[in-house]
Amino acid sequence: MTAPLPPFEILRPASLDEALRALAANPGARLLAGGTDLLVNLRRGIGSPGLLIDLGNVEGFDDISATKDGGLRIGAGVRLARLEREARLRAGYLSVARAAGSVAAPTHREVATLGGNLCLDTRCLYYNQSEWWRRSNGWCLKLRGDICHVAPQGNRCRAAFSGDLAPALMVHGARIELAGPDGARRLPLADFYHEDGAAHLRLQAGEMVVAVHLPPPAGASDYEKIRVRGAIDFPLAGVAVASAREGGATRLRVAVTGTNSCPVAVELPALPAGAEAGPFLKDLGKRVQRAVSPQRSTTIAPHYRRLAAAAVAERLARRLLAQQGQGEA
Amino acid sequence: MKDHAGKGPVGTPMPLVDGIEKVTGRALYTADLVGDGALVGRILRAPVSHGRILSVNTERALALDGVVAVLTGADCDKTYGVLPIAMNEYPLARDKVRYRGEPVAAVAAVDAETAARALELIELEIEELPACFTPQEARAPGAALLHEDRPGNIEREVHHAFGDVEAGFAAADLVREEVFDCAEVTHAMMEPHAALAEFDPERGRLTLHSVTQVPYYVHLSLARCLDMDPAQIRVIKPFVGGGFGARTETLNFEIITALLARKAGGRVLMQLTREETFLTHRGRPATRVKLKLGLTKQGRLTAVEAEVTQAGGAYAGYGIVTILYAGALLQGLYAVENVKYDGYRVYTNTPPCGAMRGHGTVDVRHAFECLLDRMARETGLDPFDVRRANLLEPPLFTANGLMVNSCGLGECLDRVEAASGWAERRGRLPRGRGLGMACSHYVSGAAKPVHWTGEPHAVVALKLDFDAGVTVLTGASDIGQGSSTIVALAAAEVLGIDMGRIRVVANDSAITPKDNGSYSSRVTFMVGNAAIAAARALREKLVAAAAEKLEVAPEEVDCAGETFFVPGASQSELSFREVALAALAKEGTITVKGSFSTPPEAQGGRHRGGAVGSTMGFSYAAQVVEVAVDEDTGQITIERVWAALDCGYAINPLAVEGQIEGSVWMGMGQAMAEETRYVAGLPAHAGLMDYRFPTIAESPPIEVQIVESIDPNGPFGAKEAGEGALAGFPPALVNAVADAVGLDVNFLPVTPDRLLDALVRFRRARRNRDRAEAAS
Repeated sequence: MTAPLPPFEILRPASLDEALRALAANPGARLLAGGTDLLVNLRRGIGSPGLLIDLGNVEGFDDISATKDGGLRIGAGVRLARLEREARLRAGYLSVARAAGSVAAPTHREVATLGGNLCLDTRCLYYNQSEWWRRSNGWCLKLRGDICHVAPQGNRCRAAFSGDLAPALMVHGARIELAGPDGARRLPLADFYHEDGAAHLRLQAGEMVVAVHLPPPAGASDYEKIRVRGAIDFPLAGVAVASAREGGATRLRVAVTGTNSCPVAVELPALPAGAEAGPFLKDLGKRVQRAVSPQRSTTIAPHYRRLAAAAVAERLARRLLAQQGQGEA
Repeated sequence: MKDHAGKGPVGTPMPLVDGIEKVTGRALYTADLVGDGALVGRILRAPVSHGRILSVNTERALALDGVVAVLTGADCDKTYGVLPIAMNEYPLARDKVRYRGEPVAAVAAVDAETAARALELIELEIEELPACFTPQEARAPGAALLHEDRPGNIEREVHHAFGDVEAGFAAADLVREEVFDCAEVTHAMMEPHAALAEFDPERGRLTLHSVTQVPYYVHLSLARCLDMDPAQIRVIKPFVGGGFGARTETLNFEIITALLARKAGGRVLMQLTREETFLTHRGRPATRVKLKLGLTKQGRLTAVEAEVTQAGGAYAGYGIVTILYAGALLQGLYAVENVKYDGYRVYTNTPPCGAMRGHGTVDVRHAFECLLDRMARETGLDPFDVRRANLLEPPLFTANGLMVNSCGLGECLDRVEAASGWAERRGRLPRGRGLGMACSHYVSGAAKPVHWTGEPHAVVALKLDFDAGVTVLTGASDIGQGSSTIVALAAAEVLGIDMGRIRVVANDSAITPKDNGSYSSRVTFMVGNAAIAAARALREKLVAAAAEKLEVAPEEVDCAGETFFVPGASQSELSFREVALAALAKEGTITVKGSFSTPPEAQGGRHRGGAVGSTMGFSYAAQVVEVAVDEDTGQITIERVWAALDCGYAINPLAVEGQIEGSVWMGMGQAMAEETRYVAGLPAHAGLMDYRFPTIAESPPIEVQIVESIDPNGPFGAKEAGEGALAGFPPALVNAVADAVGLDVNFLPVTPDRLLDALVRFRRARRNRDRAEAAS
């Protein structure tokens, strides 16, 4: 290859403890699972970790198990192709299976993992370029520079979070399980992210993603991804919607990826029983438009990504409500 | 004796003769040829769009362990370029750089890591100059000049007028004018650029393997830039992973690799990254077309006026030819007598454009077919009928002197109209669904080549030896389009032998006859005819030997099915092997050749630039595209495509079908998603993530129809099949979108964001109009 990978050692720990110890001992190390994001970036000169910790041998890392409360615990090492096909997800958490099936292309999904997708690096047209390109452009805030070319007046990186799975899990109320030197902790998945393209994950030093916990299925969900091509592309916007009965009302949850530096949960009121869906859906679209803030981080116009995200959210919500007998599809 | 009695392999679907190597992975491409190793070549590229080179200091790079050679612009003071009248490019920039990514220096080192480190150590001092990225900027008063000898940054202006355009518009019942903008697109072939050069310092000889479509032009450029006797150079084209025009001229990395090999006194492999392959570019320029058409109530075209502006990039390349093609191919598809054309090829500080599948015609045809459709709508005519009203009736010469001897466009129209259910379905589809159609055409090779030497256009040699095997020697570059299969089929057909008896040896300047290369769809027509002529020459010798053995006159002997016989007579048949050995007994190894030349009347009009567009025959195509438009997201789904191509005669129907599908698919890419985007001259598209050609996920069913008009001069009646069906897709798509949602768009590509933006404006305008009407 013309563009060589930087030199590195690979460690293949057999247990989570071993992996955590290695991570603690080597602060510059990077975790490697499917490698579909990391290796592409390394080859383009984004980072040069001396050590890669390959999680492929970690015991139990790719388990999917039922939890006591009737939910699911999905190991961070589960491959996307498996999530796409997993019957329990298709039955109770359709948005998750759909989101997994929409990532890149079939060969990527055979190796890419849940944890990798949740920790996907943010993306930007000024960042996902060769070393020559970035240097010619005077670097950028996310790497070696001090200016964000997307929003030069601002003081933070506007690179877009582009993982498909996060919003699909968020609308089901997923929690993320992390492990680190100080033990394990769980937090709502939305709280794992932070609106800063250069530091979008709330991972502490030596900490790693271990699993995702889904509460018992409640209602229906779906995911739709806006992109130019039907495969390969990262989301210009990806919209997950879930709908569940809550008391007499219907509770819709909407989360969007691809538009901000982190996945965005959209605040929505409940839809009272018997209420007309039309005005609610229109309002939902407006709320999505207000909640997202796409930037010039891709060549596709930001305004388009805002409009399309809203349109798709409305459409998915309408379909889910109709399935539950509220409004027309 | 007939060349084509209908008993041979010609006309039946045939897998490509080199297909097995490709699908099994045995085929060796340039980067596979390193064998016992080679130095690694790398190129240092300009970081600015326009600048004066103050110094290039290579001392520290040269001092690095493992670095064998370092080159700068000082190592080569010879320009190159595919057109002898416009060679204005240095392999490595001297004095000035004119686009971001232009090669400035190069290294050869023992491995990739060392080569990369060496590039870091080269100190480049450049005084930045103002840059122009669009024709508007480049033509503005006071704009910085890319080339001192080109005022206004105009590379070439073309002003052509045929017939009486004013009278034509006066005779029209409807005259309309619109402006269309088509984004720059590029080839994005599978195999990134690569070259392997080996210099033998003892003998002073150079061998270059490269991904080229034009080994002969590369050979000439190497001799010029390395100041070497062409006899000391050997150029070989191994398997190539696509070209689509990207490799129809010598490219800088080929010369740089050769220069590095000479300086290192050894072997250098240069593999460009995908980004560098994008930077080398030579694709279709961003084009603005201002088009005016005149139409009668009956749908007859009365006049055409086009103004075309192309952003050509930083160097000449094929640019002059491209801007001439854009005007010339306004004609040759429909009967139009009154045509005015003004073309402007403009220099911009971006990677140079060049030839790309459908060279010069695609964007202009897009404008033409869109505007014609809208005018048909306004006149109340069916899109098919308005095209039928303007069919050519060959033989004829167009107003600009293009020779047309066959035209199957009428049959193409009939076939796709019927297959798509146009009459029954159009106008009756649900909202958001639409049907659109368009026509296109393309040359079967330029009747006058860019390097005029007086030699024939094509020569094919055949060798018959003791094994009774026939070896075809051809310089035609098979780049996946199947040209080696065509020459094998032609020889087998004429000689009446099995394909298994034939071997094709192609593209080695030490062995095979010179060929101009694979571009402008010339190979089937020209090399195919040369192969037929060569096979005839061999057949004549074999028939003479057979006649002697059969004791009859040569005129009485026929050959087919690997035998020689006298039709209707009682003599026993002779096997091909018997006859071959009898012929060899007389003279030993037999070598023959056949050639093809174009007659002067095919070489175009006498006006300046009149040779461009001239050809022995045009392919014709019609296609119907069915779309579904998502009005909420602006996303378009191609439901189905029906495409018909008149290729004269399908020598290999399987390959023709593949070429039509490929053309449709490439047209679809340009129509829907493909475009280059520069951020102050830096390519934001330089990877397959961001240069969004379609994937199999959005590839529609394509129903192919092959129409055979039997061209009087074509090999077995054949014309080109690889490019003609491309240009119809973008306008058919835009016309289908208009049918689906009532909106006409004047831009390419029709990406979801552009379409949604247009739809929002369209709805707003309609609401305002309705409100105004309600108020009054």
